[in-house]
Amino acid sequence: MKGREKKDRGRQGVWPLLAPMYAFTLVFVALPVAYMFLLSFLTRAEVWGVTFAFTLENYRRILEPLYLGTFADSFGLAFLSTVLVILIGYPYGYFMARMNAVWKKRMLLLILIPFWTSALIRLYGWIIVFRNNGVLDSLLTALHLTEKPLKLLYTYPAVVVGMVYALLPFMILSVYSSAEKMDWTLVEAALDLGASPARAFWTVTFRLTLPGLLSGVILTFIPSMGLFFVADILGGNKIVLVGSVIQEQLTKGRNQPFAAALSVVLMVFTTLLIRLYRRITGTSKLEGIV
Amino acid sequence: MKRHGKNKMKAFIKASAAALLIGAALLAGCGQKKQEGGELNLYTWEGMFPQEILTGFEEETGIRIRYSNFSYDEDMLAKLEETEGSEYDLVFADDYIIELVIAEGLAQKLDTAKLENYANLNPVFMSQFYDPQNEYTIPHGAGIPLIVYDPALCPVEITGYEDLWNPALEDNIALTANYRVINGMALKSMGESYNTEDLEVIRRAGDKMEELAPNVRVINDSNTQDFVISGEAAVGYLYTSQVYLAVTARPDLKIVYPKEGLGFGIIAGFIPSKAPNAGAAYAFLDYINQPENAAACFEFLGYYCSNKAAEAHISEEMKDLLILPGDAAKGEIIQTISPEAEDLHAEIWDKFRGACD
Repeated sequence: MKGREKKDRGRQGVWPLLAPMYAFTLVFVALPVAYMFLLSFLTRAEVWGVTFAFTLENYRRILEPLYLGTFADSFGLAFLSTVLVILIGYPYGYFMARMNAVWKKRMLLLILIPFWTSALIRLYGWIIVFRNNGVLDSLLTALHLTEKPLKLLYTYPAVVVGMVYALLPFMILSVYSSAEKMDWTLVEAALDLGASPARAFWTVTFRLTLPGLLSGVILTFIPSMGLFFVADILGGNKIVLVGSVIQEQLTKGRNQPFAAALSVVLMVFTTLLIRLYRRITGTSKLEGIV
Repeated sequence: MKRHGKNKMKAFIKASAAALLIGAALLAGCGQKKQEGGELNLYTWEGMFPQEILTGFEEETGIRIRYSNFSYDEDMLAKLEETEGSEYDLVFADDYIIELVIAEGLAQKLDTAKLENYANLNPVFMSQFYDPQNEYTIPHGAGIPLIVYDPALCPVEITGYEDLWNPALEDNIALTANYRVINGMALKSMGESYNTEDLEVIRRAGDKMEELAPNVRVINDSNTQDFVISGEAAVGYLYTSQVYLAVTARPDLKIVYPKEGLGFGIIAGFIPSKAPNAGAAYAFLDYINQPENAAACFEFLGYYCSNKAAEAHISEEMKDLLILPGDAAKGEIIQTISPEAEDLHAEIWDKFRGACD
């Protein structure tokens, strides 16, 4: 086959190849989002479904202290979880990148293997650890640190542990992939030029791994706004997050428009976060996700 | 009441090939639609019927059961709307949602002459608000949410809802998650109706719920009995099937019929308006209402038996749990209320949950 023909075919071939992707995006992303957006301006019907009467009431309702508070709580939990994930995940990813090939593989496996089990089941594992007379309780009693069973399960700290546990791998992998492809000779150069190790880390390593760190933040913060099942399972439904309010309004509350309005606000919020990420890093790609 | 609580294996159905004699002997006595095919599309919560009843029905009638399930009544209604009542032959769901199904014309009138065992039904469970003339539904069990507590762990004696507010129960109560039922405890303890649409009253109930918050250990809609069985909480406010599981596992637990008044919920079956195999639905309704079969159903389900003739077949030790106490029918059923009242209930529930932490 001649080169020219090949080239032409390649150019023409792009559209048919991309068509399924565009169709998929249109049907499964754009249309549902448009539907949800429309729904959020409608009114709930007397008993079931919606009536086509335009209203801003759903958005006004979000401004009530109760729901603003729910957003604030979700934000607070997401923020706390993200900070903890950074504190644990950044060093882990950083040191993993500095290890030799064999240990890299081992450390990577340690992160990936738990992923083969459903997150839900792993959370149930935490119940066994936290419950009354559970693993942690028995351990503390055996060490004579506590006398009677602590009520560890269904508390805020239990939820934070669950969140951190569920989201940690995303941070580690993002930081790792940034640190892995970093040019370490730059650090050596900084050291040769008289920078202290701390200064070399701050001016070179940290800057170069920042995209990884920030994409880890995005991958941690955004899901943690929505991971209400962690709060339900480890928090005993006592910590109310936006996600669980949406679910409840859709099912028991039978108020679909309000659920849609909450979802729209949540989506706008996450879109803003991603824009912020783009502005800081100057890239639209998230580090660490293939 | 929502039918949660049991984690029975998904009722999966395999008719043996031999049993698949299409059309055989089905519809005996209801002659008109002989060629409807040997299939029953049953739509309800998972774990509603014991396997031996499902298999027994298939073997006796040659009708193959296709069991689909939903988690929430609302999902079922949405599905019926979507299919305009054409996909399923028989649905079992909660009272309040059936009212909506009937109002939307998605259920068909029953010809009770086709049901040999119709007379076995207990009239206490019939002629209810959702179907006052018994035109559309056949009751299949009823529930009363009850308080169950562990006398060894509970520092106070409990006789009603009001006792749950006792500060001695701090961090010691497990609740189900249906907010009409839970907010209803506050309403009942204030001497109000579950179904009040007076927003001021509901708001006061909300304030009262917030006072309950410090005592709440966990809120969980499924398997709530486990928290009481394991001692994670001293007190549970549970659905009937959960009460049944709790006291079956731990006979030392105490059941309380709250003195302020009981809630009451009925599960009933109906045939959707355009059911493809209505005849098969009649056959199934008749089969599960034969006294022995009905007894087996309720011993498995753990809800109050709605079949009078079956009571004699329920084993002695289960009688107390499955036969409705004489005065319980005075309990109030939770019904659909105005959207404003419904929204307010959802709101005070979220506020209450947030205060529990």
